[in-house]
Amino acid sequence: MSTFIERPKSSCALGGALTTLAGLNRVVPIVHAAGGCAAGLSGVYSTAAGYSGTGYCGGNMMPTTNIAENNVVFGGEDRLAEQIENTLFAMDGDLYVVVTGCQVEIIGDDAKAIARQYADKNVIGVSTPGFLGNTLRGYDAVVSALAEFVIAPQEKKDPKTVNILGVVPGHDVFYRGNLEEIKRLLWLIGVRANTFFSVTDTVEDIRGYGDAALSVVLAPNVGILPAEKIQDVHGTPYILSEIPVGPSGTAAFLRQVGAAVGADPKRIEEVIAFESGYYYSYLNGLVDTYSDLDFGRYAIISADGYYAHALTRFIANDFGWVPHLTTINDITEEADQARYKKLFDDITSETKPVVVFEQQAGQIIKHVRSSWALNHNEKYYDALAPAYVIGSGIDAGLAEKLGANFLAVPFPVSNRVVLNKGIAGFRGGLTLIEDLITQLVSAR
Amino acid sequence: MSKYSEELSYGFAGQVAPPVRETRIGVCSAYCGECGQLVADVQSGCAQLQSRKFAQSGGCQLMLAVGIVSSLTNVVIIVHSPLGCCSGFTGTGGTRKTTRSSRGKASEDFVWIHTNLDEQDVVQGGVDKLRDAVLYAEKEYHPDAIIIANGCVPGIIGDDIDSLVSELDSRLSAKIVPVHCEGFKSRYVASGYDSAYHGVLRHLVDPVVKERSAIAEENEQRDALEQYQISRTVNIFNVGSNSNGDEVELSRIVASLGLIPRVLPLNATLDDLSHIGEAALNVSICATHDDYLLGHLHERFGTPYIIDTLPIGIKSTNRWLREIAKYFHLEEEAERVIKLENDVLNMALAPYREFLRGKKVYVGGGETRILTTAAFFKDDLGMELVGVKAHNVDRFVEEIVEELHEPQLHITVAAGQPAEELAVIRQLKPDLYVGHMGANGWVTRLGVPNIPLFGMSFNFMGYSGAFELARKSAKALKNTNFIKNVSQNVALPLSKEWFERDVRLNIKETEQI
Repeated sequence: MSTFIERPKSSCALGGALTTLAGLNRVVPIVHAAGGCAAGLSGVYSTAAGYSGTGYCGGNMMPTTNIAENNVVFGGEDRLAEQIENTLFAMDGDLYVVVTGCQVEIIGDDAKAIARQYADKNVIGVSTPGFLGNTLRGYDAVVSALAEFVIAPQEKKDPKTVNILGVVPGHDVFYRGNLEEIKRLLWLIGVRANTFFSVTDTVEDIRGYGDAALSVVLAPNVGILPAEKIQDVHGTPYILSEIPVGPSGTAAFLRQVGAAVGADPKRIEEVIAFESGYYYSYLNGLVDTYSDLDFGRYAIISADGYYAHALTRFIANDFGWVPHLTTINDITEEADQARYKKLFDDITSETKPVVVFEQQAGQIIKHVRSSWALNHNEKYYDALAPAYVIGSGIDAGLAEKLGANFLAVPFPVSNRVVLNKGIAGFRGGLTLIEDLITQLVSAR
Repeated sequence: MSKYSEELSYGFAGQVAPPVRETRIGVCSAYCGECGQLVADVQSGCAQLQSRKFAQSGGCQLMLAVGIVSSLTNVVIIVHSPLGCCSGFTGTGGTRKTTRSSRGKASEDFVWIHTNLDEQDVVQGGVDKLRDAVLYAEKEYHPDAIIIANGCVPGIIGDDIDSLVSELDSRLSAKIVPVHCEGFKSRYVASGYDSAYHGVLRHLVDPVVKERSAIAEENEQRDALEQYQISRTVNIFNVGSNSNGDEVELSRIVASLGLIPRVLPLNATLDDLSHIGEAALNVSICATHDDYLLGHLHERFGTPYIIDTLPIGIKSTNRWLREIAKYFHLEEEAERVIKLENDVLNMALAPYREFLRGKKVYVGGGETRILTTAAFFKDDLGMELVGVKAHNVDRFVEEIVEELHEPQLHITVAAGQPAEELAVIRQLKPDLYVGHMGANGWVTRLGVPNIPLFGMSFNFMGYSGAFELARKSAKALKNTNFIKNVSQNVALPLSKEWFERDVRLNIKETEQI
């Protein structure tokens, strides 16, 4: 059973569906819900995902049935049919996706059945009421529907083509930059990546994704349902991986995916060596200032399951900060927590991080305080300083209370603009370091 | 007072929720035609019976209601709903700091809690989760008030949040305020303001009990001083779309008559609210926001009120000031202030008038603000009005429409609906578009230079606001390359056929609500 959440770092399933659709090119959502849901939820990602904006047809441009009290009493299916027909006339899109809000699901409208009547006009329907859960559930529902209704079945698979799943547009604020870097790196080892959401992916491309030999899920708690759907419908197996951030994570990622699709191990090692060389050539530029000014920090990482371990590994194993505390906000089942905690066995720093699962944003500071000896007015006190909080925008207040530096990385991010930058891969690691250290020198 | 509210009733304090505006005031939310005809159609009632075939997303009354109550000082907001409702706080929660610091108020973390209703709660009800959330808020944050915003899901499944409020009310140090603002209940999203103020008025406005001195003369003296103060105090009711600059300017104008301005209720403390009845006059700056609040305060405290115009531009600001002055019999003083202010402002506006005269302008957004802003562009800057778009139209703007003296002016009534708006704008070809948040980006992609209709850091009200508005309009036309480049390189999602069809064909007779 779920609990209330103080300052949740997520929207609902409909919000997740809409941000997922906004990540697809020339796709038009048709929202069967009350009038405010679509624009309100789109607005979440327009501002809180590094100002990623509305997308092709987001914000108040989204067609919506705008149902009201009379529909809640008498049903809204006729209104939906009228709205679909008028949307097909007014809107220019390669795919139209009917998604649903809480109100129409509770009253029992069969939106998917209405959508099926327009299947020959590129209309599909997905059930996405907010009460299904958080943003991640909306992504799962939409991508599962793409697997079922859009990706064309193909007998023949290309052994070197993989689907990338679990990178949620907007919820991963850096999704497009990340996908580009992942695509580039896989290409270097001879693997083609179906990314769904990069700026160049089209609906036509997605129709052709049936040739993938493998799906790679880059998150512990999202993308697995669509991976299973793809396995059922298209016979494509999947593996669980992780969003690769920085040298050690990316090397492990390339080796894992390369081995799974039978890529040439020698070539993989050559690529890793080359990219690693590139990374350290640039990092070398920071070495003098880092060393002279002591840029080493105690790191407090507050993130979702998607980024928490990936960031901690980068910060601890690659960049060499002291990983003090990592909190994870969206893994709630005990078994899942135990599994996730095991990931931290690969942290190589002398000091290992305290790992805590905490949904309530206001409780994180208590975990910081209980994990470090309090100051009892000793003359000599070993403070948790200098500290750096890498968290969502909501954790800015935590950093302020701790007197720590702060960079927003996991969702929401509303204090900086993210356009094409990513933090995945070797190059993404450099970008992350630029942003982290910029905070330390910005007052100069 | 307002002649438009004379027939309205405000005696809803005994109910848990106010009636929605569709039934309380009557409203037109879909129209495409001319201003003169619209006023006639609103008066005959047929404009209120229209809706649209192709609809796009607009607002939600829950967001407007929460926007009001979440501004109050030292409160915790509980959104009783699945996670999406108000999840915009993830992006905007941080702006509380600047909103407060710009007004010289102490910085506060903004705390909101979601009850996170899921499928199981839809079946079993979510009241237990709500109780847990309330107790958590009390224990962790000790707020002055815990305000519960009720969303669609509990509204449809019938969660009895009022019983929970009664159960907990006397047990907590915080006051608990239920706000019934389920989105599906009203398409006129400004109903959310009524929902919010209804909760505030029922649960947070407790008149202060005065301490009496044992020395009788002291009481007399204090009472006399207090009565004198109250007799000169003017409550100015702020709105979510005004800035601190606006509040400072309107306060300055009121103070120039020798009156004592007090700005309420946004960003107020509970203590401020308990004194809300201690004023000689309540003055609205936007009927859409607060006729319910002012009407109620009149019934409860007997405070007379003015709901007239929104003080934007020279003419409307003069009019707003004159209405206030008339109540206090300060007409002569007002005319002196107006002459002084207008002379200086007109001189300052001269170069902008030169630059903007004859340029075509289109204004879209909330009814009161767009009409007064449009009047400023036309009457004070000499620009050519080519059209306006109002979210909704109700009785409160009849006179403002008539005073525009543009019966043939193109008007659409639509909350959001950028598809209709872009089709209209493409035909009318304005040089400058001034619009509500959410619309400007599409207008940029269409290729029309634009500025926002309001902003948390812009002063657009009063005399200083008129100057700022002129300055910003001119600035938008000093380099239009951003607009040109974007419109030439970014596609709109609308079809060619849509742009070619008459927008009026999208309006239909509505089903009964």
